[in-house]
Amino acid sequence: MPANEYVSIGKKAIARCKGLLLVLISMSVIQLTALAQTLQVSGTVRDGKGHPVEGASVIVKGTTSGTSTDANGRFTLSTARGSILVFSYTGFETQEKKVQGAAVDLVLRDSDASMGEVVVVGYGTTRKKDLTGAISVVRTENIANRVSTDLAGAIKGLAAGVKVTSTGQAGESSSITIRGIGNLTNNNPLFVVDGFPTGGGMDLNLQDIESIQILKDASSAAIYGSRAANGVVIITTKKGKEGPMKVDANSQVSVNWLPRYKLLNRDQYIHFDDMAYDEAIKAGIVTHRQNHYPGNTDWQDAVLKQGIKQNYNLSLSGGSRTGQYFVSLNKLSDGGTVYGTSFDRYMFRVNTAGEKGAFSYGENLYFLSTRQDGMTGNPFADLISMPPTVRVHDPLHQPGGYGFGNPDSANTYALNPVAQQDIMGVVNKSNTIRGNVFAQVRLFNALTAKLNFGYTADFENDNTLRKRGNWTMGQANDDDYITKSMNKHQTLLVENTYNFKKSFGRHDIEALAGASYQKDNTEDVWTTRLNPLVINGQYYNSLNSATGAQTGGGQYGEARLLSWFGRISYTYDDKYLLTGTIRRDGSSRLPESGRWGNFPSIAGAWRISKESFFDVPFISDLKIRANYGVLGNANIGYWDYIPVMNTSPRAVFGSPETVVIGTTQSQLVNTNITWEKKIQQNYGVDAAFLNNKLTFTGEYFIAKSKDLLVALPILASTGNNGGNPIVNAASLQNKGIELTLGWKDKLGDVSYGVSANFTSIRNKVLDLGYGKVTNYTFLTKAGIGQSLGSFYLYKTLGIFQTQAEVDNYKNKNGTVIQPNAKPGDIKYDDYNGDGQISSDDRQIVGSGWAKYEAGLSLTAQWKGFDLLVQGYGRFGYKIWNGARATAGDFANNNNTFSNISPWTEQNHSNTQPRLIFGDTRNSRGDQDRWLENGSFFRIGEIALGYNLPQHICDKLRMRNLRAGITATNLITFTGYSGLDPDFKDTGIFTLAVDGPSYPNPRSVLFSLSFGF
Amino acid sequence: MKHTIILTLLIGLTVFPACKKVLDVPNPNTFTAAEFWKTEADLQQGLTAAYNAFYKQGTWTRNIYTLMDGNGDDGTSLAGWTELQEWAKFKYTNYDFFEMGYKIWSDHYKAIFRANQVLDHVDKVTFSSDENKRRITGQAKFLRGLYYFYLEILWENIPLVLKTSQPSDAPKQSGPAEVWAQIESDLKDAADNLPDQWTGVDKGRATKGAALAYLGKAYMQQKKWQQAKDALSWLVEGDGRQYYDLIPNYGDNFTNANENNKESVFEIQFSEVYATGYDDDFSSTSNLGTQHAMNASPKGLGWNNIQARRWLIDYFKREKTIDGKNDIRLFTSIWYDARKNDFPDQPDSLVYGRSWTEDPTWGSQVFIRKYTSKLNGRDLEFYWNDINYRLIRYADVLLCYAEILNELNHGPNALAIQCLDRVRQRANLPLLINSTYYNGAAIEGDYTAFGKHLQIERGLELCLECVRWIDLKRWGLLDNQTGIDELKTRDPDFNNFVLNKSYRLPLPQSEVDNNPNLTQNTPY
Repeated sequence: MPANEYVSIGKKAIARCKGLLLVLISMSVIQLTALAQTLQVSGTVRDGKGHPVEGASVIVKGTTSGTSTDANGRFTLSTARGSILVFSYTGFETQEKKVQGAAVDLVLRDSDASMGEVVVVGYGTTRKKDLTGAISVVRTENIANRVSTDLAGAIKGLAAGVKVTSTGQAGESSSITIRGIGNLTNNNPLFVVDGFPTGGGMDLNLQDIESIQILKDASSAAIYGSRAANGVVIITTKKGKEGPMKVDANSQVSVNWLPRYKLLNRDQYIHFDDMAYDEAIKAGIVTHRQNHYPGNTDWQDAVLKQGIKQNYNLSLSGGSRTGQYFVSLNKLSDGGTVYGTSFDRYMFRVNTAGEKGAFSYGENLYFLSTRQDGMTGNPFADLISMPPTVRVHDPLHQPGGYGFGNPDSANTYALNPVAQQDIMGVVNKSNTIRGNVFAQVRLFNALTAKLNFGYTADFENDNTLRKRGNWTMGQANDDDYITKSMNKHQTLLVENTYNFKKSFGRHDIEALAGASYQKDNTEDVWTTRLNPLVINGQYYNSLNSATGAQTGGGQYGEARLLSWFGRISYTYDDKYLLTGTIRRDGSSRLPESGRWGNFPSIAGAWRISKESFFDVPFISDLKIRANYGVLGNANIGYWDYIPVMNTSPRAVFGSPETVVIGTTQSQLVNTNITWEKKIQQNYGVDAAFLNNKLTFTGEYFIAKSKDLLVALPILASTGNNGGNPIVNAASLQNKGIELTLGWKDKLGDVSYGVSANFTSIRNKVLDLGYGKVTNYTFLTKAGIGQSLGSFYLYKTLGIFQTQAEVDNYKNKNGTVIQPNAKPGDIKYDDYNGDGQISSDDRQIVGSGWAKYEAGLSLTAQWKGFDLLVQGYGRFGYKIWNGARATAGDFANNNNTFSNISPWTEQNHSNTQPRLIFGDTRNSRGDQDRWLENGSFFRIGEIALGYNLPQHICDKLRMRNLRAGITATNLITFTGYSGLDPDFKDTGIFTLAVDGPSYPNPRSVLFSLSFGF
Repeated sequence: MKHTIILTLLIGLTVFPACKKVLDVPNPNTFTAAEFWKTEADLQQGLTAAYNAFYKQGTWTRNIYTLMDGNGDDGTSLAGWTELQEWAKFKYTNYDFFEMGYKIWSDHYKAIFRANQVLDHVDKVTFSSDENKRRITGQAKFLRGLYYFYLEILWENIPLVLKTSQPSDAPKQSGPAEVWAQIESDLKDAADNLPDQWTGVDKGRATKGAALAYLGKAYMQQKKWQQAKDALSWLVEGDGRQYYDLIPNYGDNFTNANENNKESVFEIQFSEVYATGYDDDFSSTSNLGTQHAMNASPKGLGWNNIQARRWLIDYFKREKTIDGKNDIRLFTSIWYDARKNDFPDQPDSLVYGRSWTEDPTWGSQVFIRKYTSKLNGRDLEFYWNDINYRLIRYADVLLCYAEILNELNHGPNALAIQCLDRVRQRANLPLLINSTYYNGAAIEGDYTAFGKHLQIERGLELCLECVRWIDLKRWGLLDNQTGIDELKTRDPDFNNFVLNKSYRLPLPQSEVDNNPNLTQNTPY
């Protein structure tokens, strides 16, 4: 557009503004003239807590006359009846009030909803501005249109210090890590749903959620002491509101698909496989090339599919002043993105509340039924390892008729993923009832007593049907069978709390005391019966129809937790805030000697912006806070401290054979375990600028985890079997900063907001159990003083191009380091200089610990349209690419990627070695060739919606109608060559090891919601 | 208001009275260790669990055969699993390779842990008779000695764990001298306490003869010839002689018929009583069979993880039986191309019902036939079979005795020659002195020649029975280039053999990394 056009547009805009100004002025004139008699008006201005506000300005609208309030919040001025007073005060919304009599009292509203926002903390609520701890609030409007149907997936990237990693598998939950790894067993936080601490929470219907708060530091979480070491996620579900019934309906349909590898096709595969065999023939490993199968299979076509996911919600809510209800229904069906997988879910919720005088009650009840057609094995490794020459179905292999390896045609033990899904069908069904009911009495408007009962029952029912047939070379010709297993898990919770809340002048006091008792028990039963009935190839899935031998088993589990807790908060004049918390827990999972733990915390905050000396006009709010606290964890098995005997071993003797029962202790146990503790300091600052348009929260924390309960690997020479014993082993330290910055404004008709969060956490191992100074895995090493997740591998130095290079690769004593190497082989670093490549040459070659994590979200509204863009990323770390290691340069006849360009006499590659079958010298997994930069930034979500204008809705007798489209995971910026840099870690000692893992699906979602 | 206060108290005080006792929750699933080890029956069950350790992949149901036979010059591997194949050929890339080194190591130590539990409690229990106590002690010591024997053969510098383990244990490393001393002590105690024979439902348990046979072998590895003779003489010349003999049909040693026969000194009792399942330690119906045959059977029929070297055919065929035929041990031991021609009298020379040429890729390969289901009349391997594995046969003992006597007397005496000839005659071969191929007189007249000749006789009689590697180590063939060069002519796998390195395995790397008291075998 030429510059002069800008000018003309600008002029027009000014002209239009002039017009507007004229209208405004003339309106004021009309108003002024309409007024007549003057009046002496006085009143008091108070804040939301009823405290008088000093220094608030009171101005008669349209004039310059006005005053400000005194120390008691009082003001007096003269104005006309019917005139409008404008009240303003930093940090509060500017409000207007019409003068109708001599007294005008006003309660100032906080200027921004988020500042006055009530935040749920353990066993109570507080205003967000009064927080003394680090709490992230996730806006539920940000998650309503996400494709993810589990809670963790839905909050990905929305809160600083909260790392969510997920798998795209239908019906599988994501995992949440709050503020780095502080724990070696289970880093999932505690979920508290409607005041009920529960293992669940991941399976909630997102549409039912009213609010989510994440308690990140010790002082916020200390009230949940024993289970709060990994942080606490508090979820409140929706309640009915006074008024006529509201009906809200929402439907979402999404198309999901998985990213794919670029693999060789049949002809390319044969070309390179023959090359690998030619090398092997030269080396005397084999005598001839493979006699390739006739197949031409794209295994990704055979296994990956487009999944259609449908999610429908309906809710009814309403009520009177004394009784409210919220009822919702949900149906989800996920077609799955991998052959043979799917997930269906039904949910039903009823929340009601009522009160009579001082007495009130509430109830939340939730029913969930799911069916998951699960996945057998990991197809993401099979897709690579299966040669394209193998057919999916091969009539030569009976029974079953599936294609797989053969020593002569495709010498591989790769698994046929289609056969696996078909032959080994696993269906998990579960029914869950979860609910709580509470009764509450209020005394003297200050003391509240509450009794809360919670109950959860999960009933799981797994069905495995193993048909006849094989999916890999050399597999047992196993009998067909049916396995049915049932698992029942119940949790009962009884909780009493007393809550005291009172303001005396400028003093606010809040106190809480409570006790809680929780009991968990499980019961498992399973049975397997061989040889189910098969008629015309159809399997009967009932135990009664099977004719073979039957076996079975089962076990119980039970744990109890008894706790007392208290909290006291004191606020003076909104300036000084102090909170102290204590909790004492006893857990049956620990031996008597270490059963009880105390978890105290203390926190303070100072609202500087409230001080009279503080006078920075562009800062609307400034608060600093500090806290210190101790949290605990005993999230281990039911009886991990009791050594038990294994009565399963059998032996045969005699003629004829007689089976004899044996008993032994298979698993070793540490009998003296105790609470794991996390000691955390947190320093934070909250600030709001420019009338709360700009908000900032910064946190710095130091968290030390002591006596971590961990199943630390012990030596095989102990003879231990059945899992490593739990021990109070390591101590870890996480230090980090979290920054959250928000900006909200309007630009003409467009209102928009930007929020960014940034996290950087440094991890250090302070101690490893059993007096160890290092812990090794195949790929990693963790030493005292170092971070978890250091890759400890053989370093590669390119490729030998000539025999002379092999011969000249010597250590300082002149020893040829790799005398057996051939041109085209990998040159490994002789790290210790001893003239040979051995286990002592492994070295730290990179870290799997991300230096930075960041999230970014942008929201905008324009007329009826709304837009949400969310991104997140992790930076500065390495990933071990298991897909490339699996491909392994034809050492095992696995397929590989289409960009292969191996070393040959003609092609002197310095990155890809020569291909050779039957020799792992170049393809070993523990080399740094498989490490890649893992940094990525992903636009996780782009959601666009359109809301029908209100007047059209009214005509249609609707409250609202919104149509939307959401694109998920479509754009990722990364140099990582694996399918997805954002995957679920397999364990804390193997961070950033991409197995290969199940990638996140890409998807496009269409949604329609309306209410009436 | 009064009502409200009462209600408040009611509501607020439900949990407060809860008693701390509610946190004592007993485990209802099984015995705790504190409740066990109280009676003789408990110890008997503990011992059974130690025997159960035989049915594990890392002990005697799977790839120890690949390793022991693959290391020997009688076996090689063309396994489809590249790393497995490399481990049978002295090529170790990943020292922690789970299927071979790690699994064998850890399953052996699991077995030792079980034996240690029995031995630690044996003095704390009252027995109905001293005899019962001795029998339990003897068997537990035999098993511990046996497992250490194979650990020592494979790795040499290993931790000696002799007490019930604790999770924090980082046991210190012992060298061969210490380990052998422990093996000797365990097997001596076992021999002193074990009965000569077991009967009925107890058949198959360790006997005095089994303990003495392994004790003799342990001494032989250390070249303690006199002690070796003292140990084995009970079986060859002493009271034990009555229990042992060579059975007429060589092939009966490798089938499920005629198990625990007179030739068997110690065998592992395998069974097909539980048809499916694996070696899961926590299932009472885990398979009690062996995968030896599945592991070895030819390409297309089994995993073919281990197969035989062709020199066996040539060596067998160069000497004829007294009726001028080929040695039936060749027919019994292996499958190969010319088998039909070499044994025209045999009714079935098919390989699981297939003719040799049916699979064009078999060519000049040689497959192991010992212990296959084919010998049981099946035409397929079903993953598991129930053929007891004879860890020590009397033929082995006799040949050991001949070797010991040759060493002690610096030449074979009459008994040494007689021991050898007993083994030859069972195969229908003439006395060595009358051999059509060997110069019997020269061999019998010379210490070195007789010793060298025994290497051939043992190699043929005991081929592919996991004894060759033990023998090669004892004979010093692995100690110098001359020995390696000789082995290379029979088994090209020895081209990968590195002197002063490959004679023992690299210790599992994770054990070395995580145990400060354990050093990797140099120069790995």
